[in-house]
Amino acid sequence: MATEKTTGAPGNGALTEAFVEEWRNAAYNCFSSGHKFCREVCPVMQVTRDERHTPTAFHANVVAMDKGHLAVEDVAEDYVHCTMCGACELRCPNTLFTGDFYRFRQRTVDLVKAMRALAVAKGVHQKSWKRWADLTDRWGNEPVLGWNVETSQSKVRAWATGLEIPIGGETVLFADCEAAFYRTSVPRAVALILQAAGVEFGLMKEQWCCGGPMWETGYVDVAHKMAEHNMMDWRRTGTKRVICLDPHDYITMVEHYPPLDEGFDEFEIVLAVDLVAELIRDGRLALTTPIDRTVTYHDPCRLNKRMGVHQSPREILRAIPGLTFVDVDHVTQWSYCSGAGGGLPIEKPELTAEISRRRVAKAKELEGVDTLVSACPWSERPLTEQGKTQGIEVYDIFELVAESAGFEV
Amino acid sequence: MATIALADAVLEELVAICGEEHVFTGKSALYNRARVPAPFPVHRWDDHIPQAVVLPTSAEQISEVVKLANRHRIPVVPRAGGTGLTDGAVPLRHGILVDVKLMNRILEIDLEDRTVTVQPGINMLKLSEELRPYGFIYPDNPASYPCSLVGGRIGTSGWSLIGARYGHTRDLVISFEIVLPTGEIIRVGDGGGKKVRKSSSGYQLKHLFMGHQGTLGIVTEATLELVKRPEAEFSAFFAYPAYVDAWKATGDLARSGFATLAGVVLFDEKKVEYLRRDDEAYIPQPDSVKSVVAVAMYGQAAEVRPAAKEIMRIGKDSGGTYLGDEISQADWAARHDRYATPLHGRTRSGQVVPMGWHCEDAAIPYSALPQVRERWHAIADGLRERFDMFDDWGMFVYTNGAFKPWGDFLTEIDIGIWEMRWDEESWAAWVDAKREIGRVAVEAGGSLSACHGSCREGEVDLVPLELGGGFEVMKKIKCALDPNNVMNPGKYLLDRAYEEVD
Repeated sequence: MATEKTTGAPGNGALTEAFVEEWRNAAYNCFSSGHKFCREVCPVMQVTRDERHTPTAFHANVVAMDKGHLAVEDVAEDYVHCTMCGACELRCPNTLFTGDFYRFRQRTVDLVKAMRALAVAKGVHQKSWKRWADLTDRWGNEPVLGWNVETSQSKVRAWATGLEIPIGGETVLFADCEAAFYRTSVPRAVALILQAAGVEFGLMKEQWCCGGPMWETGYVDVAHKMAEHNMMDWRRTGTKRVICLDPHDYITMVEHYPPLDEGFDEFEIVLAVDLVAELIRDGRLALTTPIDRTVTYHDPCRLNKRMGVHQSPREILRAIPGLTFVDVDHVTQWSYCSGAGGGLPIEKPELTAEISRRRVAKAKELEGVDTLVSACPWSERPLTEQGKTQGIEVYDIFELVAESAGFEV
Repeated sequence: MATIALADAVLEELVAICGEEHVFTGKSALYNRARVPAPFPVHRWDDHIPQAVVLPTSAEQISEVVKLANRHRIPVVPRAGGTGLTDGAVPLRHGILVDVKLMNRILEIDLEDRTVTVQPGINMLKLSEELRPYGFIYPDNPASYPCSLVGGRIGTSGWSLIGARYGHTRDLVISFEIVLPTGEIIRVGDGGGKKVRKSSSGYQLKHLFMGHQGTLGIVTEATLELVKRPEAEFSAFFAYPAYVDAWKATGDLARSGFATLAGVVLFDEKKVEYLRRDDEAYIPQPDSVKSVVAVAMYGQAAEVRPAAKEIMRIGKDSGGTYLGDEISQADWAARHDRYATPLHGRTRSGQVVPMGWHCEDAAIPYSALPQVRERWHAIADGLRERFDMFDDWGMFVYTNGAFKPWGDFLTEIDIGIWEMRWDEESWAAWVDAKREIGRVAVEAGGSLSACHGSCREGEVDLVPLELGGGFEVMKKIKCALDPNNVMNPGKYLLDRAYEEVD
């Protein structure tokens, strides 16, 4: 496709020029259509109803920067309003048109990341994100327990106490920051399930944050540091296979790690939800304890919208005895979100809370449903909060599987 | 930025009315509400920036904003989805932009009298999602169905793809509340009661306050039809060896007399050629297929199933070849996702370049369709000849009448534009071409627009020609209702009304 250089962000400096150069064609592809199918599926836009927070605006701003109308300082705060769920990309007519044939996808999530990175590079910071990045850099893990509770190396494996999991080995289980420090029942459940199924695995010698939130909020240097450390740690312990229980870790490792390391192909990144579905399917994990609940499933955005993973979790839920599963199809759930992604709860907790409230309300509308099951620890904190006020319990899928396999987590 | 900031005192009043969190003056808030879908004169983006944006939450707030605008003689521009194709939501004279998107609640679902009352910021797809559990839909179904909003549909008097069966916006909106250009809040419908479909009492104000492109007020609430979800649907695509055969078949189908007929769509030869050339999602067809007719029906199974057999017979009797279930069902179902067309078009040499889509529309009597088609393509050819940044993407023709789909047709020509190339010269040529397209429509006994409105540069010049004495009445009404010309000034040549008064 022919490209064309126009004015190139006059007066905004070399960084902005390079950014505009990279994104100009994509921005025009959106700008020239402007049909905004993305808008009503966007979880943030559904709440704020503010055109500044639409994927269309995120692209149009690039054109405006190209024409010299706007600078990153004018728009940086707008780009906070994105959970990076990917709904807009799926709903974009540009994706729908050519997606099936060329695997093309409008790359709005990447654009938002790039704009946030440009802001940071130009010294335009969001206060809480900066603090979050600084502490992650200092502690190695994200400050998920509050600004003053250190999430240090000495505690990153505390969740595994008593489970006798070795360090290193060919396969390791990567427990992301939120799970390792906050919702510790999730990694415990996964570990118990894997042990019961006879899967040999260890834990990392020194696990740092996957770096995903650093890429998402624009702190690319910190992200690189985290990723490079983790890959070094895997090599140090002879690890070839990494099981991710959190979709955020998985997508970070498969999208961001390979360009950083020429030898990345030696690693296999496995999604726990796929692995557990396989273990059940192959009869290696017996689910015998009936679970007397009526559940619906929340499609985590990074699984469903970003990676197209929606079958494994449903397969798992259908295998749990006693469970009544009221499903809402994954396409309807393109417009659902917990609001927990993309750093939104760090900067705009009130928005995350409202997005979660609406998601839980959707579950509440379903007849007889008492439990909302997710497969993403990040989503579970705000969903649980909202569930309390709406009378819906929130479980992680692995918590239910472990219970059905006879464990207490 | 060319725009002068509003006085602090005015901003303070806006904040007092709408609340601090709903008043914006930041650059990105303003720039992102100055634009509408393509083709947008990106080289002139600066020219139409609002001075402030408000996101009100009630009719009373909007009324106060409008009164404030009158006191200070500041333009007020309503904006709903901002998806219209005739610049209705573009703040031509700057001013205060009233964005109604926060007003998106469903106020009442009345299953007994079959109405749903909503605020203007709700989207039709979202509304239909909410109505689904009750077994109803709201079938106002434009190409922008997933993103346009009820308020904008009223402001533009929109056209619906399935209007032949269910009616268009004007038929589906029973009554609505509107803030007049002087700030009074009134309700208009066919008659007095907000749920009455047919009245003969008084002037028929509902029609006056629809399709005015925001020049006569801001809608704040609407009572809409609640339509039973169709039990059955049927769609069929037929292929023809020439445009003229397809045109004849379109007439036969549109006149078939079936109440469940929801729409007939004719793809002309250039359209089929374009889809074959550049639309990777279009299901491949043999070269003998030159023109295509799509037809759809919705309703109760007892109506649709027998009627479908007759439609198949008409399609075949007219020389058509049924194109199979795959395209008939899938392409029809995907119409909305696909109207924005691909990312690319071609230069004269065949080079693929990134192009945006633009569509010129008109209402044309059936008998005049073939000659209009030829003249429109000639205009597009001339444009492409002069500037190697335009591409002719062919024409669609759609049934236009509500409930009576015969007679006149929504006629569209799709033109690809390499928007990065806009400059004053190419823009001027484009505007001239639009004016010529409009002139052909009017000369053929048609209307400048069946669907988008006719406010944009180029076609707007022909509005007085099209409407004749009606345009004089429009000016009088505008002056009477908006004495200070604050409500979306600059649209529809209505500024002339005030020049004449002066």
